[in-house]
Amino acid sequence: MTDEDTTVSYEQARAELATVVEKLEAGGISLEESLALWERGERLADVCQRWLDGAKERLDAARAAREEPSGNG
Amino acid sequence: MAEPTPRTSPDEPWPVRVVSQKISAWIARLGWVWVDGQVAQVSRRPGAGLVFLTLRDPSAEMSLSVTCFRDTFESCDPPLREGSRVVVHAKPEFYAGRGTLSLRADEVRHVGLGELLARLERLKKALAAEGLFAAERKRRPPFLPRTVGLVTGRASAAERDVRENATARWPAVRFAVRTVAVQGANAVPQILDALEELDRDPEVDVIVLARGGGSVEDLLPFSDEALCRAVFACRTPVLSAIGHETDTPLVDFVADVRCSTPTDAGKRVVPDLAEERRVVEQHRYRLDRAVGHLLDGERRWLANVRSRPVLARPEALLSGRADEVAGLRDRARRYLGHRLDAAGTDLEHRLARLRSLSPLATMQRGYAVVQRAADGTVLRDPADVAPGAALRVRLAAGELTATVDEPDL
Repeated sequence: MTDEDTTVSYEQARAELATVVEKLEAGGISLEESLALWERGERLADVCQRWLDGAKERLDAARAAREEPSGNG
Repeated sequence: MAEPTPRTSPDEPWPVRVVSQKISAWIARLGWVWVDGQVAQVSRRPGAGLVFLTLRDPSAEMSLSVTCFRDTFESCDPPLREGSRVVVHAKPEFYAGRGTLSLRADEVRHVGLGELLARLERLKKALAAEGLFAAERKRRPPFLPRTVGLVTGRASAAERDVRENATARWPAVRFAVRTVAVQGANAVPQILDALEELDRDPEVDVIVLARGGGSVEDLLPFSDEALCRAVFACRTPVLSAIGHETDTPLVDFVADVRCSTPTDAGKRVVPDLAEERRVVEQHRYRLDRAVGHLLDGERRWLANVRSRPVLARPEALLSGRADEVAGLRDRARRYLGHRLDAAGTDLEHRLARLRSLSPLATMQRGYAVVQRAADGTVLRDPADVAPGAALRVRLAAGELTATVDEPDL
């Protein structure tokens, strides 16, 4: 994981991922460039996944904390 | 208009009678006046010809003694009692025997209800014109006050109604209660004190002025001008809850919120805990669902993007290229094959032609090719070689060497 992976926002990663996929699907680029794009796409997809997994964990944790009676319920 | 100070000194003091006479003279200068007030106390001694009254200002803690003849007192209809609102025609008198001051009344008139209501109507117009009822001056009471100031009658149903209803909705509600007279001559001054005290308390976020139902006269203190102005001047928002639904004392117009009854005030002064819980729960549920939907949507989007061929099967990127390369290679090979075949045929033709031009056949018929050994020059003229030069003689089956003899020429 590079520094960028942890600082880039979900929206940035998502937008760039969409662009990468569009470029790859449109074709007409050199093999070297498409491989680089694909690697970039994989990394961006991982970043997005980590964001979503993290958000889900936080949501689940908050739900679990709420269901535990906290004494003054 | 300063009167010259009378000259007295420790050596020349005035006797009591002189001072008393002078005071009496001063007081008498006021003459006969009409006085508006409220009867606070009536004292009639059996057999006495004089009746003593205490006349109080309804808005301030100020009173005067009034004396009148029993006849004057008894001529009032309905009979005067404590709390009656009256107009008295009187003249101040100094009773030198005790050094006391009283008003000597020769006429006491009831202020009738009609007159009181007419006065209220005038006061209402005046206060409205001054802007005391203006909607833009109303302050919104806090959603959840820290402490509720409550001004009400001692051990009254109004107090119970406010407290019970507020506590039922918000069990943790705290009250600062000031019990006061809610009718009669003491009511206004006591309420003013209580209001001022609660208004100064920084913990008190809202003040409830509560009183149960009563006659129009009973509710008069809550239409008092001084009280209305005090409520208007309060920095703390004030809720009025006076009498029943239909009662509208003037303070109702000045208060920031008018509650129809003390019960209503109890309900309006605090939020409903159960209701608030329900609302919070509902919002939490919607929050949950909103975030959940958002997350699910994003996960679906990401899964969809990841399953697109360009990301899911990057080898497709390669296999396409590999096919391209194989095709090109085939084309190259085919092209080269053609070129080779063509070159082979060409070679054969050239070989045949070469062969057809070869001198071998001639030599097999007995001819020989003679070459100068030194440089391989084919000899066509004997002059081209000197005697003694080495020669190569090529025959059909091979070659031999020879040497040139002396020329024949």
